[in-house]
Amino acid sequence: MISQPKVRRNLKQINISSTEIKQHTFCKGQYDTCKKLLTPHQISLMTHLYRIVALAFVVICCLTQAQAQQTASSLISGDFKQATFEDFARAVEARTSYRFYFDPADLDSLSVTLQVKEQPLPVVLRQILGDTTFQFAVDARQRVFITKGRQLSVALPEGYFEPETITENKPQQVAPEIFGTEEKSTRKAASELKLYEIGLKSSNPTGNANLAGHLRDAKSGEPIIGASVYIESPLVGTTSDEYGYYSLTLPVGRHELKVKAIGLQNTRRQIMLYSDGKLDIEVAEDVRTLKEVLVEAEKDRNVSGMQMGMERLDIRTIKQVPTAFGETDILRVVLTLPGVKSVGEGSTGMNVRGGSTDQNLILFNDATIYNPSHLFGFFSAFNPDVLKTVELYKSGIPARYGGRLSSVLEVMGRDGNKKSFAGSGGIGLLTSRLTLEGPIQKDKTSFIVGGRSTYSDWLLKKLPNKSFNESEASFYDLNAHISHEIDEKNTLYLTGYRSKDRFKLAADTVYQFTNQTASIKWKHIFRNQLYGVLTGAHSHYDYQVTSEKNAVNASELTFGINQANLQADFSYFPTSKHNIDFGASSIYYNVNAGSLMPLGAESLVTPDRLQTERGLESAIYASDRFDVSPRFSVIFGLRYSAFKALGPRQVYTYAPGASKSEGTIQDTATYKSGESFATYHGPEYRLSARLGLTDNSSVKLSYNRLRQYIHMLSNTTTMSPTDIWKLSDANIKPQVGDQVALGYYHNFRANTIEFSAEGYYKWMQDFLDYKSGATLIMNHHIETDVASAQGKAYGVEVMLKKATGKLNGWVSYTYARTLVRVDDPETGEKINGGAYYPSNFDKPHDFTLISNYRFSQRFSTSLNFTYSTGRPITLPLAKYYVGNSPRVFYSDRNAYRVPDYYRVDFAMNIEGNHKVKKLAHSSWTLAIYNLTGRQNPYSIYFKSENGKINGYKLSIFGRPIPTVTYNFKF
Amino acid sequence: MCTPNRMKSAAWLLLLLVVSCVEPYAPKVPDAANSYLVVDGFINSRGTTTFRLSRTQSIDDEGAPVTESGANIFIEDEQGAQIPLAETEPGTYTVSGLDLNNAGRYHLLVRTASGKEYASDFVEVKQTPPIDEITWTAENNTLQFFVNTHDPQNNARYYRWEYEGTWEYTAAYGSSLKYDEASASMVPRTSSDEDIYRCWKTDLSTDIKLATSVRLSQDVINAFPVMAVSSDSEELRLKYSLLVKQYSLTQEAYQYWETLKKNTESIGTLFDPLPTQLTGNIHSLSDPDEVVIGYVGASSVQEKRVFVSREELPHDWRTGFPICPPLDSIELDQVPVYFGQSRAYLPVGGIYPAMGPPVLLGYTIARDICVDCRLRGTNVKPVFWQ
Repeated sequence: MISQPKVRRNLKQINISSTEIKQHTFCKGQYDTCKKLLTPHQISLMTHLYRIVALAFVVICCLTQAQAQQTASSLISGDFKQATFEDFARAVEARTSYRFYFDPADLDSLSVTLQVKEQPLPVVLRQILGDTTFQFAVDARQRVFITKGRQLSVALPEGYFEPETITENKPQQVAPEIFGTEEKSTRKAASELKLYEIGLKSSNPTGNANLAGHLRDAKSGEPIIGASVYIESPLVGTTSDEYGYYSLTLPVGRHELKVKAIGLQNTRRQIMLYSDGKLDIEVAEDVRTLKEVLVEAEKDRNVSGMQMGMERLDIRTIKQVPTAFGETDILRVVLTLPGVKSVGEGSTGMNVRGGSTDQNLILFNDATIYNPSHLFGFFSAFNPDVLKTVELYKSGIPARYGGRLSSVLEVMGRDGNKKSFAGSGGIGLLTSRLTLEGPIQKDKTSFIVGGRSTYSDWLLKKLPNKSFNESEASFYDLNAHISHEIDEKNTLYLTGYRSKDRFKLAADTVYQFTNQTASIKWKHIFRNQLYGVLTGAHSHYDYQVTSEKNAVNASELTFGINQANLQADFSYFPTSKHNIDFGASSIYYNVNAGSLMPLGAESLVTPDRLQTERGLESAIYASDRFDVSPRFSVIFGLRYSAFKALGPRQVYTYAPGASKSEGTIQDTATYKSGESFATYHGPEYRLSARLGLTDNSSVKLSYNRLRQYIHMLSNTTTMSPTDIWKLSDANIKPQVGDQVALGYYHNFRANTIEFSAEGYYKWMQDFLDYKSGATLIMNHHIETDVASAQGKAYGVEVMLKKATGKLNGWVSYTYARTLVRVDDPETGEKINGGAYYPSNFDKPHDFTLISNYRFSQRFSTSLNFTYSTGRPITLPLAKYYVGNSPRVFYSDRNAYRVPDYYRVDFAMNIEGNHKVKKLAHSSWTLAIYNLTGRQNPYSIYFKSENGKINGYKLSIFGRPIPTVTYNFKF
Repeated sequence: MCTPNRMKSAAWLLLLLVVSCVEPYAPKVPDAANSYLVVDGFINSRGTTTFRLSRTQSIDDEGAPVTESGANIFIEDEQGAQIPLAETEPGTYTVSGLDLNNAGRYHLLVRTASGKEYASDFVEVKQTPPIDEITWTAENNTLQFFVNTHDPQNNARYYRWEYEGTWEYTAAYGSSLKYDEASASMVPRTSSDEDIYRCWKTDLSTDIKLATSVRLSQDVINAFPVMAVSSDSEELRLKYSLLVKQYSLTQEAYQYWETLKKNTESIGTLFDPLPTQLTGNIHSLSDPDEVVIGYVGASSVQEKRVFVSREELPHDWRTGFPICPPLDSIELDQVPVYFGQSRAYLPVGGIYPAMGPPVLLGYTIARDICVDCRLRGTNVKPVFWQ
């Protein structure tokens, strides 16, 4: 001991070289972690840490040489059968630096039978001692104390819990004192073993206390959504919400808090909970940030999560799926999920579990998006670089959502990097995009702005065909988002979004449409267990169709919808068994139902404007998630929604009992501004239950009812930008839908393989179908041209998913039917004689395989396969002659089907090297869409040509389409 | 074989030109055992009314439409007064010289040979305003005809047009000879022989042309593109004439024709409407569920004709010409071989040596279609031809 100062001085040099060596070998062995070292910020930290660790290493070398040689691992592996605890302890001591202290007499009755592989000691000990009265404690010098009844306190008293959040960086500063002998090679592991004391320390803690905080990405400071935060014994857990917030009520005492999230390596925190307190956890992002491999997902959400019929897709997952133009497209990927269908490729409208395309609530940062597509649906209107996650609810829809019958698609944007300035972008065949983000005030305020545009206009001009280069097609979308943490309890989020399309067909008609939204959110944490979010949002969608070629008929047709939302949502976590959500919302609609205006002085078009529609949709809701036992939990929810159609408006009344037509208009009632002329209201029940059968399997059940007060009118097969949205009014009733769903979930191989099977049955009432020969545009009495339809849908969805490993992806099979009946006694309108017929998107069999294989850190491939039954079609059955030409007699509506659909896609991702000091990280994506060149029918049609009826099959992606995209990130 | 698709519209498809394709498609559909009655025609309030009765047939049936003959057909007014139509050829029933009451309402009664009775709904008689003008443009290698009309009373509003295109043409080769069977020899053509060089042909419209002025403050149809001829067609080589027939429709009739048009002429893409059930206004009196196809309306007809000769068209247009192989030549002794039994060839002229005395060496001949224009039309000059 006397000579120690001297030794230290000598060791300084060794210290440096050993750091280098260590870093070197480390990089070789664990590439991932090596890359993480490469941010300058971390490099300095790491160097610092290594110095400390290395110093400690050398000191220990000198003092306890024998021990130092065995510090390669502190993980326990072994196979014990009926062993005594003494044998176990000896075996562990032989392989690790742990030293056991216990009274053999106390433990002689304990026999150890277990098989472990590379588990940390606390986990193993908990398994051994779990049901006994023995307690264990591990101190900083890896001394293990086994005591009977009461746990030995090994931590240094730290005084009172400080309200400041404890982050991973903080313990780093104190690491040398506490972890003087710690041999872990990463700082994360170090902090995983540090004991955090939370709350006011009391000598005799009893009862429960609440722990809450935010999960944040250590690199960007962005909230981590959907991460599981839990303790294992007793099993108490929760999932971080869209703000990264979690709140857990735990028994006071010592726990190991585990965190699992998509894109992050699993981590844990040792906590000592005395009373209510906060713990913000910053978790380092997984290293493969550039290219997107399905990494550690929320492994057991499938089984242990409450939610059923919900899919959460991370942007990383989405980016792996090849698309027709090499452009990452969230809607394309959503369409590969079980239960989601569309009428054909290149159409964005999606049909969720037999619902029509207008029955999906599409939210982008809480604002409703009416048309989520660009270029007739070949691109989705969301820039992939600004997105974080996409959640799709197909059943068990939370009470907080309402207003659409079939699904909720919640698209969440990123908050922007709170720590440093960054950018990313991509150059594709048809589009390019650029996103910039960074802190405005470090760790407090961040921004993200993104833009995307196409150069298809330029391409069209280059085409050597007149009708092509007279055509135009352009679009762009812009995003801006600011998140500002006012203080610990208040956070503000601002989002703005705009997308615009313009296309011109062969120099005549110009179509334009615009989506525009703005939202502001204020999140306030009242206390640990209660927080509220106040959201104000405005959504706007409009389109214009202008035709100028013929001066006399030159006109402009416009349509627009505005909605303003105000909603307040509260989450309350009173005890560990209850999780209560409640709130209220109100939406004011203002719809310009259509106007046709002359264009130019010569135009003879009569100005025509449909009456503006106004309506107020309000709802209150409450739901309670009650964890009856770790195995059984239920959610009771009730939403009560009401809709008022508001004046000023003139409303036709029709003769009761007669079919609505111009001839049966009886009277015209006039309502003043703000006067309500039709009111609908009703309860919406939301019920879910989960029963865990084993640790790895569960059964879930849900029932929900939804009401929809806004309808889309379309008589085309797919969603088109010129479809009309119509509010319910005195003549058009709201749609009501009920769904029951039952699911079975099983995870295999330590949660790496997830299996799920869900069945559902759904009833839909009063949705709108059009009558034959209906005029939907500029119709002053649209109720005379639509018929009220009933629908039913049922199906089974089976999915097998492997989220991790070199090979990952999913396989799903769906059997689903969706049937419609139009037999309206009021209007006398019948389709197919009033019998049920398959809807346009009834595709009973559907098989999807999404697979990714990672050959190395820099090279990965994905191969996808899709098969589905052809969609129903109305076929010509006979021909006849009218007007000198053969004509076609059609079958009953949707009585036949187009040929089956299948497609194989292949993509390769090639990463640039992972050097630290690169200006920008880049990657190339080479993809081939429709590898086999299958000519899938986009549309089947029959034409009377030169006196003959010819059937044609149009395939739009009838050949393999290779694409190249260059992505960069700086 | 999948060929690149040339869609005339839809910008997005243009982008995908390289990958999109259209190929013929023949679905397997059980033959519709039903053969529904089809009524084609309208009640012409001034002049000749013609109805054609037929039956639906299987879609791949290449035979002629099955006509429904032996039926009794009447036009009936609301007071029960009946005007019978006579069957002029199988399935075609006609009555001429009608002068119906413009304020009355009429319908059609059909009793088939098998005794089944059908009736159309009563319809008002629409007054068709005259066609103001037929104009044309010759641009982009297309001769495009436009109709202009208006109704000062603003009553017509819904219009349908049919047209007849007539053109003058010649055979590819003018023949100075004909084969005389009696003498088994070639004799010169004389003025008493039928002209087989210059003919006329008329094509009837096959597509449905509709327009409405309901969205305009006045009942005006301005430059409705009624018909187009491509510059490279033979029709334009000499002279072309277009006759446009204009019908005014009720709104209901317009919807029927529009649905029929949508169902059979424009269902190409997903953005076109779905085929809808076509409900006409004819019903079976005995079986209300029986499908009867057709819509019987009543209106007057207005016609206008326009001529376009080659000289009026752009000089750089390369109009079509009958495509025929070069003349064949035969020696004299081959005449019976070529003309004795078969009519496949016709003589064009004699072959004489280029130099020296004019000794007949043989004949130039060509396929009949290249010599006899009557095989494609008629050599009777239409009465309206100018």
